Amino acid sequence: MTRAAPAWRRAAVAPRVALALAWLAVPLVPLLLWAAADRWPFPAVLPTDWGLTGWRQAAGQGAGGALGRSVLLGLAVAALATPAGAMAGRALALHRVPARRLVEALLLAPVAVPPFAVVMGLTTLTLRAGVPGTVALVLVLSVSALPYTVFVMRSAYAGYDVGFEEEARTLGAGPRAVLLRVHLPLAAPALATAAFLAFLVGWSDYVVTLVVGGGQLVTLPMLVGALSSATGNDAVVAAVSLTAVVPPLLLLAATALLARRGAR
Amino acid sequence: MSTDLVLDGLVRRFGGAAVLDGVDLTVPAGGVVALLGPSGTGKSTVLRLVAGLDTPDAGRVRAGGRDLTGLAPERRGTALVGQRPRLFPHLSVLDNVAFPLAVAGRRRRAARAEAAGHLDLVGLADLAGRRPATLSGGQEQRVALARALAAAPAVLLLDEPFSALDPGVREGMHRLLADLRGAVSPTVLLVTHDRQEAAAVADTVAVLLDGRIAQAAPAGELHTRPASLAVSRFLGGVNEVPGAVERGAHVSALGRLALPCASPDGPGVLVVRQEAVALTGPADGDATGTVTRVTPRGARWRVEVTTPAGPLSAETGPGRTPAPGDAVGLVLPPDQRWVVPQATG
Amino acid sequence: MPARGPRRALLLLLPAALPTAAVLGAALTVAVLQSTGLMPVVGEPDPTTATYRALAGDRALLDGLRVSLGVAAASTALALAVGLGMALLARTTRLGGRLLRAAAAATVPVPHLVGAAAVGLLLADSGLAARALGAESFPPLVAGPLWVAVVAEYAWKESAFVALVVLAALAAGERELDETAATLGAGPWQRLRRVALPMAAPAAVAAGGVTFAYVLGSYDVAWLLGRSYPEPLPVLAYRLWTDVDLARREQALAVAVVTTALALACLLVTAALLARTARTARAVR
Repeated sequence: MTRAAPAWRRAAVAPRVALALAWLAVPLVPLLLWAAADRWPFPAVLPTDWGLTGWRQAAGQGAGGALGRSVLLGLAVAALATPAGAMAGRALALHRVPARRLVEALLLAPVAVPPFAVVMGLTTLTLRAGVPGTVALVLVLSVSALPYTVFVMRSAYAGYDVGFEEEARTLGAGPRAVLLRVHLPLAAPALATAAFLAFLVGWSDYVVTLVVGGGQLVTLPMLVGALSSATGNDAVVAAVSLTAVVPPLLLLAATALLARRGAR
Repeated sequence: MSTDLVLDGLVRRFGGAAVLDGVDLTVPAGGVVALLGPSGTGKSTVLRLVAGLDTPDAGRVRAGGRDLTGLAPERRGTALVGQRPRLFPHLSVLDNVAFPLAVAGRRRRAARAEAAGHLDLVGLADLAGRRPATLSGGQEQRVALARALAAAPAVLLLDEPFSALDPGVREGMHRLLADLRGAVSPTVLLVTHDRQEAAAVADTVAVLLDGRIAQAAPAGELHTRPASLAVSRFLGGVNEVPGAVERGAHVSALGRLALPCASPDGPGVLVVRQEAVALTGPADGDATGTVTRVTPRGARWRVEVTTPAGPLSAETGPGRTPAPGDAVGLVLPPDQRWVVPQATG
Repeated sequence: MPARGPRRALLLLLPAALPTAAVLGAALTVAVLQSTGLMPVVGEPDPTTATYRALAGDRALLDGLRVSLGVAAASTALALAVGLGMALLARTTRLGGRLLRAAAAATVPVPHLVGAAAVGLLLADSGLAARALGAESFPPLVAGPLWVAVVAEYAWKESAFVALVVLAALAAGERELDETAATLGAGPWQRLRRVALPMAAPAAVAAGGVTFAYVLGSYDVAWLLGRSYPEPLPVLAYRLWTDVDLARREQALAVAVVTTALALACLLVTAALLARTARTARAVR
């Protein structure tokens, strides 16, 4: 993606890149500072006392449990939305699909329907039917994640050569062996990306958990919301917020590594 | 391990149109048959039907007396090597070749040892540990061949496997195929659109025209004794003299030309390969006429001559070539004369 | 393997299509039924438009509508401008492009609520910005009348999204066309206007539509960084939903129906725009 720009243009580009990087990074700076601040009275530009009080308080507020619940929620959503999205993506990319536009519109629809509207409508029903709240929660979030997994997998399968699977069949591999030894390894990088996006839907959700759980089910975003809507909690808010940011960043790095290995 | 392959009346329609309209073909055990035809005539479809990657609308596929028609691809013993080598990018070269052995349930160590043998057969033993992405096109196709052979196929199907390679590399592959026949004598059905390749590699060349096998014969016979005008034209024959056969000779605007072998009396078109036609003085020859055009064909020249029977062509070697406007005679050697039925319609 | 036909396609589509249709269908049906009195919390079904008429007469809904649309429009416009700028910038330099790509990709996984908390710590009147600038009287960006902090949070995160989508669209062949245009005598400006922008347009339109619909229906950022009145539609809906008066739930669902209709309309407009810009982009290709 690079081209030989004249030296004077390259010189002009560097400050603009720095500006763009700053735009993306600056909002996270107060989080990092507050997470390491024991005392930071108002007009001071930097904390006056450094320390990890925020983290200790966060642990005391149940950040550990919230972290566990958020991980479980993200994993549940990824486990449901990834295989379903992969299958639908494959059908859209490689098969003749009747009423294709309609099917695509349906699978994209969750992007257009606000999650709060979906969950308010659905809980009215599930409460009457006696369906446990967590089931409704995972269901609504998985449906919200499906557009992402479906369309990531569709574009992956669009560049996918079914000939590899046919080749394997003529070499004596049955459907199961083809799936395990050819199809899944070839689709692995895309599957990892899709699963990551689905995980994020569960990991980041606030309003669906709020409506379904009524504040009873405490995930990391619920904790961030509860703490930051009150005043004077800045160090704890920063610690819990970072706890909600670091795991997906690690996952992102891992997914990128996997994708790079797959590309080679 | 090799068996014969018999295609019996294969029909395949796509959207109502029959791409294959009753294909009959036999590949003897250990033989190599090249399926030759213009692009888009369903040559690859034949291979896909044999491999079980597609289902015929009618007809049967048999190998070694076994009916394969309803079987899943993996149970047919018909390994396929395509135009793209399709080496699995997530496996090393050795594990690619070991793939058919692994899915057959062989232990990893035994599978790799055997795969190394096949890799050696195609002369790439020292690339065993490489990733497919690091290979050249010719190397990839060699590995693909080794992988197909490792499946110990009853029939090896080759779908234009060399057409994407450079000419020099392609000739190397032809030699390799000949060597492999000496070593493991597989039964091979090869699809190609390249007449030279078909002639170089196969015992028998089958010409697929309009969804049927128009003729199956050794390459030389195919060129000099085509079964029809269509076959003659597909193989590049340009000389056609309309007329009729009368008592062992062809009668036309060129007069009466004796035929080397018996043909039934009646209308017929005399065909003589332009490579067999010789030029001579205007007084001699079986036909005389005026040169209208001379075109270079590599080291040879194509000379077009207008005669009473229409345009005829000769190919001459390097040396003195006539110029447009010259009067010349054409010699149609008796043993090269061949009569085909008039084109219908 | 021969079975690549519609029957197998339907089987493959089922695990995604069935839950989507069931969840969306059930949720929206219930919302419509209950807000029109056909499925009351207590008592007999009695079709009525009273809920909607009450809402239409209530200033809360109209103000909420105005604020929701305003915030969504401002956030989308900013995100598009910054995101497009970043994408066009990223393709001109190797190292800078890599850094920008990585930074944008790293912004996507930050939950919006965490982003809101961070923007709060940055822009509040005792936040980092106020400290760094040393201003005597810092303008009320958080919970202020102009919704600056809310718009800033959405613009921040969604600009990264826009940049990634546009970069993905430009990856396919833009460079060759750019070089071809250069050999045909087009200067940098003309190449930007006649090649890069038309090629980026469909992706930008799609990303803009998704962003607008998302902001319109999103609760958490506006709740945390916004004012207590007027309330954006999702915040209004949740307050009504949690009201002790159960009859208010019907109003909450009516707000949900209105918001959904708006989001759907927005995406229909996007689809129409997309059809037009995609034609232009194809013409460029």
